[in-house]
Amino acid sequence: MAVALDNSTVRRLLRIPPAYYVFVLLLLVLWIARPHMLNLNVLGIFVRQVAPLGILVIGQLLVMRVKSIDLSGGGVILLINYCISSGTFPGASMGFFVVLALAIGIGVGLFNGLMVGKRRVSAVIVTLAVSIILVGFVQYLSSGKPPGDVPSMFTDIYNTKLGPLPTPVLFWVALSFAMWLFLSRTVFGRFVASVGENAQAAHFSGVPVERTVVLAHVLAGLFAGIAALVQTASIAVGSVRVGLDLPILAVAATILGGVVFGRGEGGVWGPFFGVLSFALLFVVMTAFGIGESGKLVAQGLIILLAAIFYGLRSQRH
Amino acid sequence: MKADTLRLLSTKGSRQGMWLLPLLIALGLAIWLSVQTQQFLNAGNLLNLVAQGMPLIITAIGQMFVILIGGLDLSVGSVISFTTAVLALDGPGIVLIPGVFVLAALIGLCNGVIITRFNVHPIIATLSMQYVLLGITRVLRPVSGGTVPDVVIASVSGSFLGVPLPVFWGIATIAVAWKLLYGSRFGLHLFAIGGGVASGTEDAAHNFGIRDRRNIVLAYVICSCFAALAGVFLAGRIVSGDPNVGLLFELDAITAVAIGGTQLSGGVGSLHGTVVGALVMALLANGMNLANVSPFIQTMIKGAILLLVVSLQSRKKMGL
Repeated sequence: MAVALDNSTVRRLLRIPPAYYVFVLLLLVLWIARPHMLNLNVLGIFVRQVAPLGILVIGQLLVMRVKSIDLSGGGVILLINYCISSGTFPGASMGFFVVLALAIGIGVGLFNGLMVGKRRVSAVIVTLAVSIILVGFVQYLSSGKPPGDVPSMFTDIYNTKLGPLPTPVLFWVALSFAMWLFLSRTVFGRFVASVGENAQAAHFSGVPVERTVVLAHVLAGLFAGIAALVQTASIAVGSVRVGLDLPILAVAATILGGVVFGRGEGGVWGPFFGVLSFALLFVVMTAFGIGESGKLVAQGLIILLAAIFYGLRSQRH
Repeated sequence: MKADTLRLLSTKGSRQGMWLLPLLIALGLAIWLSVQTQQFLNAGNLLNLVAQGMPLIITAIGQMFVILIGGLDLSVGSVISFTTAVLALDGPGIVLIPGVFVLAALIGLCNGVIITRFNVHPIIATLSMQYVLLGITRVLRPVSGGTVPDVVIASVSGSFLGVPLPVFWGIATIAVAWKLLYGSRFGLHLFAIGGGVASGTEDAAHNFGIRDRRNIVLAYVICSCFAALAGVFLAGRIVSGDPNVGLLFELDAITAVAIGGTQLSGGVGSLHGTVVGALVMALLANGMNLANVSPFIQTMIKGAILLLVVSLQSRKKMGL
């Protein structure tokens, strides 16, 4: 093991985030077992399905790079889905819903950020608690029954295509690109990297650590709000269960993409391919007829193996 | 007198954490409930209170061992569901009952080894374990059903010498946990490891010659086994296997531990505090049931309490 790790080629290969390997592996599996599914239409549909997840991941990778985590996305998505589909705001325009969704996202993100950054509460517990409070709230409002239908304008936009590519996918790529620019070109991006590497050193170098963490959470909330809009448009109906498994998938895709707490080797595109891997995984699982329980096991194992992959490289004593 | 009271209530330098205040809260809640509602102070409801609170008390005690070393086990809810599903597998009790504890110990062993040997953050390790177990449980038992061995049912519903059996479950659990935490070297080492983690020097206990890895692994094994015990109790109560019975149980357990004065950053906490914390949660649930509060609102209130309690604890580390 030690000898193998010293080999520089092996080390260079190990530095590539597992997402790329998984992606290639799944493509191969699909190519061998079900070649007819490898066409642009089928894959386009599956990739379009994971667009909300991809958008959520953009926020997740930001908080995970500052050694935090955001599991409240499920609650945010559920609440926004309820607001849009329940008819609480009759005759509201598209713009109103967008502003409402972004405001809810930013509000929840700000609360998470203040609790984590200022009060120093464990991020897992804060965001989980916020999530179950929001879920309980929505279920109370709707008495556990699915609310209503989503206004058709959402579905109309969701179904458009720009050339061969579905609009939601393009939107996701554009947002990822924006986040990549944001992290690599702005001062805030450098702050995020330094806080993740060593918060104490960053503090003594004059980096506003708390503000960076709070802002990261606010942005994660904002992206959760955007993801909620896309998710709502994609399922087209109100639901009391929508999006509840997205936060854990987002964590899985982010770790798979090489962004582990405080370390951002995978950048933005590693997690991007992590999400694409999940899209392919769903194709493969559908093709082989593996059910919901199998997906849960696969999610858990993927997080575990990806985390072990990184953990083995940072051994202490 | 005043200074003494203040010293008792202040947690500065205390290894036990603030457990007197929650005890007062529990007493206050009990008195308030018995004054407010007629139904609270009758034998039926009190027995119900004990029987409903017991799984939480058992799980919370297990969770406390892990929290004391600065870790967190998010998989206990799934372990509970998994245990009930295994018990309902239609086999002889003599195989199934030891079987669930062996399985739980293996789960805890997995958690511990992944955390200590593979250097994975406890939250990530146990979170993924939660999903793996949930999947396996759903394969074993997609919807609730099946029957558990008669021994299990008899052990939670009968009474011995006029005292209902759940009371004995509580006494036995607390006795075992007391021995582990206060009557063994292992318990002392837990505080040492947790104290180091809380002050930011994770290697402190290791450098003093404590075999920290094996103690951490043991803590996760104990946590899983206590969760399995709670699962056996719950299986006896609901008489069948249920893949969703342990849902969100990990958060209730963490809340109970945190209410009892155990610091989530590790090193500070007490068994009696945890029991008191679980009692507060049980009283609250009982009170809300008596007052006919909607179950969705109950979830919200529990979440809010968790937020409140953890935000009152101070710690140095930021983030996870």
